Amino acid sequence: MFYRLSGVYHTDYVSDSRIYGVPADRNMAAFCLIIGLAAPFIIPSLYLNSYMLPWLIWTAAALGLNLVTGWAGQLHLGYAAVMAVGAYSAIHAVRFGVPWEIALIIGGLAAAVIGSLFAFAALRVKGLYLALTTLAMQFIMDWVLTHSAAISGGSHASLQAPTLALLGQQITSDTGYYYVAFGWCLLVTIFMLNLKRTGLGRALVAVREKDYAAAILGVNSFYYKILAFATSSFIAGVSGALLVATFFFLAAPEQFSVNVSIQVLAMVIVGGLSSIIGSYFGVALILLVPGLVNSAVASISQGLGVQIGVETLAHIPNAIYGALIVIILLIEPLGLGKLYGNVRDYLMVWPFDQIRK
Amino acid sequence: MQEKPEVEPILSMNSVEVLYDNVMLAIKGVSVQVPRGEMIALLGSNGAGKSTTLKAISGLLKTERGRISRGEIRFEGADITEMLAQKRVERGICHVIEGRRVFEHLTPDENLTAAAPGGMSRAALHAEKEKIYAYFPRLAERRNSASGYLSGGEQQMLAIGRALVTQPRLLMLDEPSLGLAPFLVAEIFGIIQKINREEGVSILLVEQNALAALEIVSEGYLIENGRVVMHGTAEALKANSDIQEFYLGGGEGTDFHNVKHYSRRKRWLS
Amino acid sequence: MELVFLAELAVNGAMTGLLYSLFAIGLVLIYKASSVPNLAQGALTMLGAYVVLAFADGLGMPLWVAIPLAAIVMFGLGFGIERVALRRLAGRPVIMILMMTLGLDIFLRGTTMAIWGATSASMELGVSYEPLFLGDLFISRIHLVGSIVTLVLFGAFMLFFRTRAGIKLKAIADDYTASWSVGISVERGVGLSWALASVVAVAAGVIWGEIQGVDQSLSLLLLKGLAVAVLGGLDSILGAVVAGIILGIIENVGANFLDPLVGGGSRDLIVAAVLILTVMIRPHGLFGRHDIERV
Repeated sequence: MFYRLSGVYHTDYVSDSRIYGVPADRNMAAFCLIIGLAAPFIIPSLYLNSYMLPWLIWTAAALGLNLVTGWAGQLHLGYAAVMAVGAYSAIHAVRFGVPWEIALIIGGLAAAVIGSLFAFAALRVKGLYLALTTLAMQFIMDWVLTHSAAISGGSHASLQAPTLALLGQQITSDTGYYYVAFGWCLLVTIFMLNLKRTGLGRALVAVREKDYAAAILGVNSFYYKILAFATSSFIAGVSGALLVATFFFLAAPEQFSVNVSIQVLAMVIVGGLSSIIGSYFGVALILLVPGLVNSAVASISQGLGVQIGVETLAHIPNAIYGALIVIILLIEPLGLGKLYGNVRDYLMVWPFDQIRK
Repeated sequence: MQEKPEVEPILSMNSVEVLYDNVMLAIKGVSVQVPRGEMIALLGSNGAGKSTTLKAISGLLKTERGRISRGEIRFEGADITEMLAQKRVERGICHVIEGRRVFEHLTPDENLTAAAPGGMSRAALHAEKEKIYAYFPRLAERRNSASGYLSGGEQQMLAIGRALVTQPRLLMLDEPSLGLAPFLVAEIFGIIQKINREEGVSILLVEQNALAALEIVSEGYLIENGRVVMHGTAEALKANSDIQEFYLGGGEGTDFHNVKHYSRRKRWLS
Repeated sequence: MELVFLAELAVNGAMTGLLYSLFAIGLVLIYKASSVPNLAQGALTMLGAYVVLAFADGLGMPLWVAIPLAAIVMFGLGFGIERVALRRLAGRPVIMILMMTLGLDIFLRGTTMAIWGATSASMELGVSYEPLFLGDLFISRIHLVGSIVTLVLFGAFMLFFRTRAGIKLKAIADDYTASWSVGISVERGVGLSWALASVVAVAAGVIWGEIQGVDQSLSLLLLKGLAVAVLGGLDSILGAVVAGIILGIIENVGANFLDPLVGGGSRDLIVAAVLILTVMIRPHGLFGRHDIERV
């Protein structure tokens, strides 16, 4: 097949720690990169804007959460709140007259600061207690957003995002938005790909596996947990800001509510903890499939002449979204990334896989 | 003993292989027979496959992603190879797992209640408990305090008592002596012997403490690297020079300067 | 501030808190057997209320028939959830099981809404809205009824955990492998805990449905239930009741002072703060077990 190998046999550590263990992986990555760059010219702008763009930005955000949940093993149910901090800080900064490039960084840094607050909870407790704490923090952030008119522009109002401008160029076209999202997602992906090859990545994994034991080995789990939260929050903040700048154009508290936190976590888990390609799959599944199934149901029912109530139709995507989480967890708790890995491993040795597993 | 016309053993395990996670072969064709009413020991060093053998018999492999990939296990004539752990307990196999896993937040009394079979009447359970407290008077004194605070020996006694409530005909004990003071080991082994005699329960004992185990059992199997490498009566095993050197602490008058550790390899390991 | 007014706030707060305990008891039941807080408890409660309404309004049964029937249906559903969704995840990391309960929550909510729609329905229990006067205190009748239901359920569960089935359930909570080794069916125990929690959800759904109408907002009470359960110690039924009273009082009295300052809506804030403070200061809550993690 296209792997043209019969398994991976590393003979030294340098080859083992390469990003692409197999030449075919590199080819595939290059292929995806070309498709990504060419997307505006092959995909109709409606799809580009309403599917590709949110997919890429949410993937970047999901990768950030994966850093803290998948790599560092810290449950985080308040991720949307951190994204909100980034989005609101960046927009306020731009409205204040700061150029977008710097505003994005400000948004990221502000999110990193607030996100590190979550990390202090993680220093005290872990596992499901951390999940509950971050959940409560999310509620507090929601409350602050909806109750402080100065930040959100009033409890029922929303905040208009100024026109995005990068490197002195006003960006208003769909293609422009798409490339911004693509660039950011690419940046985060490259960062994450390299993470596992760095001391930071290894330290995080050590902390995840057993923080006490990591501490005994000389890994300062305190420092690394905060670093993980800060880094992931930075990614969240910038993603949140870009989401508002290129997709929503308005910032409203409900865009970053607890349901969104759950959604991002669902993306990460469905995709597979600490799997990068998995995050791409997970986001695609959670973000796109419910809508697609819903329109399929709508058209089928129309075709069959069966009346389905408007309300029923409106809630089917939610039911499907929940069902997807349940089904993926049942089929492969390690997520789509693992399923992909299984297929890849199978093809890698195909047709020499006669050994009964 | 071997020459007697063999009555059907209560448990017979025939060339069983166990695979963990579909990749790791933990035992490779182990065959063990437990004659009815006898006490049998499985000996061997750490990681030899003794505990896995017990788990294969009790059906607890499933909890560790292990499965029996070959061979069969028969209990009282019936094939139990694929049976659920719970059904095996109902049939009369009870496994006292390694590490004194009592229900820590329950009292000893509740520990015994928890193990009661579905159909056991209140009166029968009460009688059963009294019988167990008679075997283990130490437990009776502490029957209403949290089990987590019992001493190691008491927890081991509770674990054995809890297993007895299930009315086993085959009791499997995994390292009951682990981490206990010698006098406690002697006490517990004494009680095990008594249970074997008075209740007619067949016993399969896993031990690293070969010296103590061979004193009370009638036969022993030696397992190394997932295979049975030796089988014989307790006397025969005690007399075997290899066993003496590797498992019984070198026999008499060992001069530790001259122990020929590696001069005599364990021949059966190839 | 008058003392009577404060007492009234406290008493009504305590009763509201006991209604939160209805959620918390459900959470504790499942936590005891599976060591995860069931984030689908809110959805179960909402579903329970709708099932009652389906029997009562849809099939025209009187409520005293509809409620037990709904309880039976939900009992079966609880077992079903264990069988279909949780059995295969046994022994997996907490995060997976937590995510599974979240997925169930989303799925159940979506399905319920798709079937019954989003408009609020009312649950007519026939409890008068006339407040009850206890000396100088105004007391809401439905809250009083709800508090009594909570206490009755509490008593029932305390008795249940002394029975053989209850002790087996506690044993499962302690150690899965040891339970298997003595022939306890862990699967059935976990299923039973889900079934019981689903029955509790019917009770919560009926009482809360009467108070605020049957709609999606029922599932949002989960946060308060979680705060109560954590404050009480996630595995203690007694804790769930005591913490309910405490949280209810703090919330009611606190909101009364805070609301004018921040312009309303401080209840959720107080609840979230209690949750965070509990986890930070005393993660095992008031009555929970204190397990020590070792390297």
